[in-house]
Amino acid sequence: MRYAAARLGYGFLLLAGVSILSFLLADLSPGDAAAEMRLNPRISPGAVAALRVRYGLDRPLPVRYVRWLRSVASGELGWSVAYGAPVGPLLWRRAGNTLVLAVTAMALAWLVAVPAGVWAAARQGSWVDRLGLAASAVLLAVSELVLALLGLAVAARTGLLPAGGMASLDYDALGGWERARDLAAHLALPAVVLALSAFPVVLRHVRAAVAEALESPFVQAARGHGIPRRRLLWRHALPAAAKPLVSLLGLSIAGLLSGSVLVEVVLSWPGLGPLLLQAILARDLHVVVGAILLSSVFLVLGNLVADLLLYWVDPRVRGA
Amino acid sequence: MPESLQPAEAVNPLEVRDLAVCYRGARGEWVPAVAEIGFAIGAGEALGLLGESGCGKTTTALAIPGLLPANGRVVRGSVRLAGRELVGLAERELEGVRGAGIGFVAQEPALALNPVMRVGEQVAEVLRVHRRLSWRRCREAAARALAEMQFADPGRIFASYPHQLSGGERQRVTIARALICQPPVVIADEPTASLDAAVAVEVLALLRDLKERHRLALLLISHDPRVLAALADRVVVMRGGRIVEQGPREEVFRRPAHSYTESLLRCLGQREERDLRDSRDSREKQDTAETGASSSLVSLQSLRSLSEPLLEARGLRKTYTLRRPFGARQAVAALAGVDLAVDAGSRLALAGRSGSGKSTLVRCLALLEASDGGEIRLGGQDLASLPRRRRAAFRPRLQLVFQDPAAALNPRFSALDTVEEPMRLQGVKDRRERALELMAQVGLPAALASRPVPRLSGGQKRRLLLARALATRPAVLLLDEPFTGLDLPLQAQIADLLLALQESYGFALVLVAHDLDLAGALAGEVAVLDGGRIVERAATADLLRRPRHPASRELVAAARILGAAE
Repeated sequence: MRYAAARLGYGFLLLAGVSILSFLLADLSPGDAAAEMRLNPRISPGAVAALRVRYGLDRPLPVRYVRWLRSVASGELGWSVAYGAPVGPLLWRRAGNTLVLAVTAMALAWLVAVPAGVWAAARQGSWVDRLGLAASAVLLAVSELVLALLGLAVAARTGLLPAGGMASLDYDALGGWERARDLAAHLALPAVVLALSAFPVVLRHVRAAVAEALESPFVQAARGHGIPRRRLLWRHALPAAAKPLVSLLGLSIAGLLSGSVLVEVVLSWPGLGPLLLQAILARDLHVVVGAILLSSVFLVLGNLVADLLLYWVDPRVRGA
Repeated sequence: MPESLQPAEAVNPLEVRDLAVCYRGARGEWVPAVAEIGFAIGAGEALGLLGESGCGKTTTALAIPGLLPANGRVVRGSVRLAGRELVGLAERELEGVRGAGIGFVAQEPALALNPVMRVGEQVAEVLRVHRRLSWRRCREAAARALAEMQFADPGRIFASYPHQLSGGERQRVTIARALICQPPVVIADEPTASLDAAVAVEVLALLRDLKERHRLALLLISHDPRVLAALADRVVVMRGGRIVEQGPREEVFRRPAHSYTESLLRCLGQREERDLRDSRDSREKQDTAETGASSSLVSLQSLRSLSEPLLEARGLRKTYTLRRPFGARQAVAALAGVDLAVDAGSRLALAGRSGSGKSTLVRCLALLEASDGGEIRLGGQDLASLPRRRRAAFRPRLQLVFQDPAAALNPRFSALDTVEEPMRLQGVKDRRERALELMAQVGLPAALASRPVPRLSGGQKRRLLLARALATRPAVLLLDEPFTGLDLPLQAQIADLLLALQESYGFALVLVAHDLDLAGALAGEVAVLDGGRIVERAATADLLRRPRHPASRELVAAARILGAAE
């Protein structure tokens, strides 16, 4: 338990560091939210100056940081100039949407890739294995952007799936069951695209780890005791190979919020991605810092989960 | 003999006839590994398979239950398990035979168990896959099987993971796993190779006991005649993939018919002789020293005793803190105050059970690991109290030769690079010539100079390690288990090489060994470690005759039991 507490402490330190760094870096780039408005001829220079004073943009950096910290303590996470609203609620809703998408995609990728990887490892060198490797290499090479656009084209041509967004226009009028179906239909395309981009990485890791475990003396010894092949694979090789996979899972969790930006933007999923993009363009500093911070929280979380899982998976980590 | 003449009840549990195995080579050609292998084992009989590494014993062992690697194939012959032909059976049918018909005790107990599964489960699962029993019944049977393996507390063993057990315990779990289905035939491939002598003796005694009790047909494979002598009723000697001699144990060992068998046995004999010669030498030295004779040897000896020892440890301590996740810490004292003196040009063996602190001690003495307390004095200067950087400057004087040459050599280097590297760090001139000279001294021909390390044989890697250690002209050469894993002729070669090198370089030699065997004989003097302390130090011959400390007695007893059969 003390270990977990220490990890949490480190996590907070990391978050503080990340927030200071993002403030500093944002300060280095020229312009602020008000500067963007100045480009708009309908807003007078006086109004811009007034805005600057109102949002405290004229204050020195440390003051702005401390003010932001206070607002973080109150749960508002700062103020979005572009939306004219506290950042907190804005982020929560969007982050929720992103999680729905990213968790679905991750589950999809892992649930397919782990059995496929074990299967491929058991048949190393066979044509199925080679085909799988080639396909995963192609998937690795093709960028998410292409995949997303491809999916979009297919959806638009066939009309089988809604081509973007998270809900139909009449979503509010639907009953509970129909709402779920509507969400699933909208979720399908971005989730599959996202899963496809994660799939080859997981597949290759599983295949390599299990293949290595299959070579290890204890699997050979188990074979010598007449343990059938299926059990060798699933009960011996896979758990023994779990270590690198757990680390990969931790990384996947860490990337839950930040990994889907591109897909969200292209397929207009109302998650953090589009929000972050707009905020960066609009120099909406607090929104950017908030989104980055949230991603860092998942980084800390992912590592923690990976460590806990490792502890559970590998008795050697638990000590004698 | 013709099959038809055999009465039904006389069918042997295991019969191998005219077996030949080939491996597919790099270019797809089939290379014969073993040929014309034939033997039979009766119920309650133990057959020993003797030979050097690479002679085809393990290939034979693997071929019997169809465990050859993917590039291996039985090309001819037959293997019959109680009359049933195994060659040509489908993998699924073989799965039923393995474990149930033939128990297999693998070579490395440390590696033969799944590290992430409780060992009790691993024993139980073998029963579960072969018999239609509930998991509960299987676990109960596994617990009984473990109880039969002479564990003090089988309950603890059952619930342990492999890393929580000692090597001997793991090997006994492996045996329980091989025997849980009560197979009529058991194959044990080097079951004691990686165990220290005392544990090896226990495991061999257990195997003998089980063989008698269950009337097992036991195929025991070893490169060490003493292991077979302890257990085998009949012995088969293999060389170059063929059987060169076969017969009752007594006959083969007393009157070896084949010159190869004789030479294998002679290796053991030489070791005995060396042992005797050394003890005689030391006695003569004492005698002459008393009479004041002035041979150069004696004067050297007396000079040594007057001056300070070359390398000295005083009250050396080392505690490891095991940090576990979730906070808990545990201190383990690996060295609990070691006092040790090594004279210039002398030889000393450090012996003790595994876990007694030997490896930690040499690592501290080689300055590879910082001690927590006490002094390490080299030529009178305390190195332990020096700041890190200045201490590191003494490392070339204290060279450690690691146990596992494959792990201690950089696979990307060539042989020559390996020897040159330490000299390059020291800025030695003409290091190429010097490196070639060193290689020649350890018996590596210049033709090997450009060969990458991974393409050297095990023996060549050992020699290369020695050459690299000598490149800095150390005052003390520390060797961690230099003979483990080598077969007898190679052990003898390395031992002779060490003596020759010491003669020309004059370094002090410290050998770590987990038994008193060759290292004790070679060094002539043994310091016994137990629980992180040196509990006894004596001439090898004296120690063998009158061990005083319990830990020494254990070592000596193990050496005797293993040696008795010779």
